[in-house]
Amino acid sequence: MMKFLITLLFLIPLCFCYNYWLMVNCFFILSFMFMMNYSFNNLYLNVSYLFGNDLLGYIFILLSFWICALMLLASEKIYKIDNYYYLFNLMVLLLMMSLFLVFSSMNLFIFYVFFEVSLIPTLILIMGWGYQPERIEAGIYLLFYTLLVSLPMMISIFYMYNCMGTMMLMFMNYQFNLLMYFCMNLVFFVKMPMFFIHLWLPKAHVEAPISGSMILAGVMLKLGGYGLFRLMSLFILVGLKINFIIVTISLVGGFFVSLICVYQSDMKSLVAYSSVAHMGMVLAGIMTLNIWGFWGSLVMMLAHGLCSSGLFCLVNIVYERIHSRSLYLNKGLLNMMPSLSFWWFMLCSSNMAAPPSLNLMGEIILLNSLVSYSSLSMILLMFLSFFSAVYSLYLFSYSQHGLYYSGMYSVYQGVFREYLLLLLHWLPLNFMIIKSELWVLWI
Amino acid sequence: MMKLLYSYFKLFLFFSIFLFIMGLKFMNKNYSMMIEYEVLTLNSSSMMMVILLDWMSLLFMSFVLFISSMVIYYSAEYMAEEKNLIRFILLVILFVLSMMLLIISPNMISILLGWDGLGLVSYCLVIYYQNMKSYNAGMLTALSNRIGDVAILMAIAWMMNFGSWNYIYYLEMMKGDSIMEMISYLIVLAAMTKSAQIPFSSWLPAAMAAPTPVSSLVHSSTLVTAGVYLLIRFNFSLTDNLLYLLLFVASMTMFMSGLAANFEYDLKKIIALSTLSQLGLMMSILALGSYKLTFFHLLVHALFKALLFMCAGNIIHNMMNCQDIRYMGNLMEKMPMTCTFFNICNLSLCGLPFLSGFFSKDLIVEFMSMNYLNIYIYIIMYISIGLTVSYSFRLSYYSLIGDFNFLSLNVVSELSMIMLKGMGGLILFVIFSGSLLEWVMFFEPIFICLPMVMKLMALIMIIMGMFIGYEVAKFKLGYSLKSLKFMTFSLFSSLMWNMPLISTLGVNYYPLFLGKVYTKIFDQGWHEYYGGKNLKLLAKFSQVSQSFSRSHLKIYFLLLILWVVFLLLNI
Repeated sequence: MMKFLITLLFLIPLCFCYNYWLMVNCFFILSFMFMMNYSFNNLYLNVSYLFGNDLLGYIFILLSFWICALMLLASEKIYKIDNYYYLFNLMVLLLMMSLFLVFSSMNLFIFYVFFEVSLIPTLILIMGWGYQPERIEAGIYLLFYTLLVSLPMMISIFYMYNCMGTMMLMFMNYQFNLLMYFCMNLVFFVKMPMFFIHLWLPKAHVEAPISGSMILAGVMLKLGGYGLFRLMSLFILVGLKINFIIVTISLVGGFFVSLICVYQSDMKSLVAYSSVAHMGMVLAGIMTLNIWGFWGSLVMMLAHGLCSSGLFCLVNIVYERIHSRSLYLNKGLLNMMPSLSFWWFMLCSSNMAAPPSLNLMGEIILLNSLVSYSSLSMILLMFLSFFSAVYSLYLFSYSQHGLYYSGMYSVYQGVFREYLLLLLHWLPLNFMIIKSELWVLWI
Repeated sequence: MMKLLYSYFKLFLFFSIFLFIMGLKFMNKNYSMMIEYEVLTLNSSSMMMVILLDWMSLLFMSFVLFISSMVIYYSAEYMAEEKNLIRFILLVILFVLSMMLLIISPNMISILLGWDGLGLVSYCLVIYYQNMKSYNAGMLTALSNRIGDVAILMAIAWMMNFGSWNYIYYLEMMKGDSIMEMISYLIVLAAMTKSAQIPFSSWLPAAMAAPTPVSSLVHSSTLVTAGVYLLIRFNFSLTDNLLYLLLFVASMTMFMSGLAANFEYDLKKIIALSTLSQLGLMMSILALGSYKLTFFHLLVHALFKALLFMCAGNIIHNMMNCQDIRYMGNLMEKMPMTCTFFNICNLSLCGLPFLSGFFSKDLIVEFMSMNYLNIYIYIIMYISIGLTVSYSFRLSYYSLIGDFNFLSLNVVSELSMIMLKGMGGLILFVIFSGSLLEWVMFFEPIFICLPMVMKLMALIMIIMGMFIGYEVAKFKLGYSLKSLKFMTFSLFSSLMWNMPLISTLGVNYYPLFLGKVYTKIFDQGWHEYYGGKNLKLLAKFSQVSQSFSRSHLKIYFLLLILWVVFLLLNI
């Protein structure tokens, strides 16, 4: 583990080298190096100094490496116009470091610390490279929604240490009560985000630059799921009694949010809300506390990380040309960038869980888990699944079909970098299903 | 571009012949072959990609490939002036590929690959032209089909109880089991959406917004037959109640679309509605318990309906993209070859003796007459057959003979050799495939024993239909249309019993309205109020505590007293 950490540490000087592809390639090389580290094993491996990873952590670290590389690939504009390019690189690197430490720490307190640390670079990304004055409010929302519930978590970590005498995740063996359940897990619910406390997410997404949106959708939301995966075993007894509430909230909320998606006219906010709906399903899957739910949630999170990050990229590619995210102006894009339209279709269809994407597999496993949890959830799941198609198709067809905006004088075609970016989102999303045990069997 | 097109034509034709021979071999030897690829095994329930090759799937694939090869060849000329020809061809190829995947997979999960693929690619094909009508039609098609996808997803969730998704292993064994019943209800729902049975039938005529070669492919052998095919595979598990329900729905669909086709003036829509009525026929015979007859009619219908659409495409091409049959007439003289094909297909569709449609349709109605059923089914079946003949003859009278009603400046000619060749490839099969398939598929003849009148009933209905079609097709200048006398009824029928209205305006208001409500009241209302905006409350708190630290002597003393009080209380 240390070798990757040290590598990341020594990348810091490289941030100040004004070379776009060097940094991108460093991240890609790192992610491929990390990929080679795969162990076909779900034990903790590569353990050193309280850091190590099992399959769950491995998958998320790999996802963060991948998404960080793609983030840099997506924000070439910052390099082109030199919008504090050095600092941007540094922020991505710091973010990557903190994510690496979150996912690889075997100690609950270290996990908590870096969980909070990862918020800071994200906040700076949003505040620093966002493009509208509202980004200040969005940043405050992002920070305070998470912080407000994270302090109870800190206190409850201390209490946990008092009870169990250890902070190591694998030695934890205790059953806590309802108060602890909420103090501990509410921060993950906010991070997921659960319906009712999801407000920070659309705001942050809308105001964030493309890199911020990508990391938010791609990895930051998954932090919540990761934390729940790790800690749910401490709340089984109380969870059996009250988890159904969370399941209901997230399923009903997912349905509501799907309807909200159909009402959106801002493409980025549509994608943001769609990720709330998807993460609602993930949360419900975790809360069923059955093994299918855990597996399915992991697959769904992985798939959603790639898919919605790809959709944000698409929105940004269009934004860089039309300078608007409004669905009323972004019309008939098929006429201007037909090849890009292909990627729109591929990613939108992946978003609605079309085969052979990982989304479909995640959705199938989650459906199995949730329907076996309660067959009543079938009704909501049907709506969720149906409306995911509705808003994905709405996004695709509104932006691609029809007459293009007549106020537009010129537009340039997609460049190679952008197609590479989308390919690198789509390829893992649809090809990982071929040997999908690797991404499922972590428990 | 054209090279790509022709190479796909050759490839498909080759595979079609190959698969046909394989199908005959498999049928003769009663072989079937299963290839399994394990994708994932979780808790010993394995998700697999399964390929099942038996005579049914091979024969169906060979028919699909044959039709699509002809359609691709045909579109070399029909779409010749298209700017994005490569996109078109690749979409059609993907469409055929999805259909292949659907045909060969007897597994709930791997069938999704073909099933969703069909839905998505058909969406892309329907919105191929950039106008509002095709946009709406595409959305209607995709979302109607999505209901079926959701039903299949739910069936997958229920199927986990069996520990595997290879449904063909469980159909007969688990028949009558409550879980299997649930699954088969969901599957029937899925099949009804794909095959456009009654609550979902509005997408099928709407999908006519696609280019004509696509319609020819979609509405003959691929998309709409997917539901029927799935039910053919599933028919062992369907319980009696479900079959009655299906029979009712299917017969209503058949009747409704036959009626609507008699009131329709759009050439392609008439043919689409006729597809719908034939689908109803297939579904009803399936519900009556003979899946082999369903399959027989499926194949035969695929051939003549594909050709019918191709002829219609040729006509539309020559009429400067005008589809209204009132502008046509006397085309028999202008384009004799196309009209010959058109007529043969129409007559085959009507079930005129010894054309291909006759063999399947006649068997179906006689099989139905042999069953001990209620009078409703009997009557509606025969009326629907009469209606089929009626709209076919009406169409023929309108377009093929009579006066030429198009613009006086026109070039209606039949110089399009490639299209004609593509159509000519199908015509022999339209004529012969009925008898051929009957000899091949039914080793022992189906026992039919009927009284004279009932036996002749089909022919009587055909002749009556011819008469009605002839009467309906009469129109001249200054002639008051008979259907105006019962305006509401004719509007009701021609609008497919208001189904397009119900399934667009009827359903999309509430989700959008609720979306607005949830946005305004939840997301920007209470959530903001009790969430983000209430951060101001914190600011108020800090204001209060700020006032303590102002150096007011009175407050300082007050706090001191409070402190003393607490101290005393503690003691």
